[in-house]
Amino acid sequence: MKGNILVIEDNEQNLYLVRFILEKNGYQVHAAMDGKTGIDMAVQLKPDLILLDIQLPVMDGYAVARNLRANPQISGIPIVAVTSHAMFGDRDKAMEVGCNGYIEKPINPDTFMEEVELHLLKQ
Amino acid sequence: MFEMVARGDADAAVTNQFYGAMHARKYDLVDTAVVFEPSALFFAAPKNASPELLDAIDRHLSILKKDTRSAYYAILKRWTSEEVRFKFPAWLQIVFLIVGVVLLTSLAGSFVLKRQVNARTFELKKINREMEERIIDRTAELALAMEKAQAADRIKSAFLATMSHELRTPLNSIIGFTGILLQRLGGPLNEEQEKQLKMVYNSAKHLLNLINDVLDISKIEAGQLNVASETFNLRDAVEKVIKTSQPLADNKGLKLSAEIAPEIGTIRSDRRRVEQILLNLLSNAIKFTEQGYVRMTCEVRSDKIVIAVSDSGIGIKPEDLGILFNAFQQIESGITRKYDGTGLGLSICKQLANLLGGKIEVESEWGRGSTFSLILPLEGEKA
Repeated sequence: MKGNILVIEDNEQNLYLVRFILEKNGYQVHAAMDGKTGIDMAVQLKPDLILLDIQLPVMDGYAVARNLRANPQISGIPIVAVTSHAMFGDRDKAMEVGCNGYIEKPINPDTFMEEVELHLLKQ
Repeated sequence: MFEMVARGDADAAVTNQFYGAMHARKYDLVDTAVVFEPSALFFAAPKNASPELLDAIDRHLSILKKDTRSAYYAILKRWTSEEVRFKFPAWLQIVFLIVGVVLLTSLAGSFVLKRQVNARTFELKKINREMEERIIDRTAELALAMEKAQAADRIKSAFLATMSHELRTPLNSIIGFTGILLQRLGGPLNEEQEKQLKMVYNSAKHLLNLINDVLDISKIEAGQLNVASETFNLRDAVEKVIKTSQPLADNKGLKLSAEIAPEIGTIRSDRRRVEQILLNLLSNAIKFTEQGYVRMTCEVRSDKIVIAVSDSGIGIKPEDLGILFNAFQQIESGITRKYDGTGLGLSICKQLANLLGGKIEVESEWGRGSTFSLILPLEGEKA
């Protein structure tokens, strides 16, 4: 197993897709369908990387990122924002709240793993 | 008159008070009390005149006053009603007449004028008041219209953000799953399955590009597209876009090449947007070239970085150069709609180049090919 990746994503198809690619590439995937569960799982599992969707119900991705960064136990885990909400400085906002990277949806299957592994390697 | 009184030829004289006072002393005369209504004075007598004479005069006067045709009235008439003999000279009369007429006319004129001025002033005040009211109304209308436009703009932005999300989510599945199937992550594929999946994959990517173009132009028009300022290696960026465009050129059998001058290194700009412009210029060049080559050159010219994309394609007619960069307009290229696209690509490129502090220049000869150059400022360059 290459590493543990926590995917916080509320859309089942997207989750299935990301999980499929990551698992086929040799990673163990943990999934959370909402922000609150995601934070709990991050604290509990201490994954090597968190893939974070920005459009989440109740608590959005920015709030989740802020929350994760505020917790000293897990503040070192790299977070990569994944969002289709590519408007009005989303990238800047994601970086501002503590994300390490930004992947725009729809994901490009040819480059997705490259981008994910770039952040794993940095760690 | 004074001499006659002084000599004793006359007992008394009637004269103007001041004239009298002025001359009386000169002739050694004594003035009487002042009579204020000399016209009521008919006869006068010395203080020591005989009473019989005065009585007789009184009596005669009473008789004379009873008869209107008497000598008394004849004399009175002569002194009071007789026309004044003094006459102004004719020329003076004419002058007076003219002056009078002029004065009267001007008086009448000024009266009419004054009335007109008053009427106009009233009218102007009324117009002024109406104008003020209208301005107030219009200002209120404008404020309302502006508010509505701003609200519409907010709704448009929100709509675009939502649409962006809603359109991209299903595309994420389509592109993602066809992508992993083509990568054989889902298992082996036969030749026909691969060919068909590639069609789905390419169509989905094309659809994504169209959505991105529409979103980009909307963001640019709303002034909401911000460019980053980051340091990156321009050589890497150029090599990346060439690599990305290679399959498109291969499909049409075109020779795609890049010449990067040795002085090209890191620059300060927005990498994603520079790549977007170059990819767009390359895909256009490939789209409009049926045979020959597409060549990218990158060099420093005076204080500018010039990245030129030349092709041996159909070129552009001189009359079409003007509308080339207009949004939503694709030049008629002989065969209508032979070349697909939104017609937004070059408009976006031009506006992105402007946002990056640069510009896009075009040179073309109809039937011989075109050269599109992205010119970026060098000032951000690091040694």
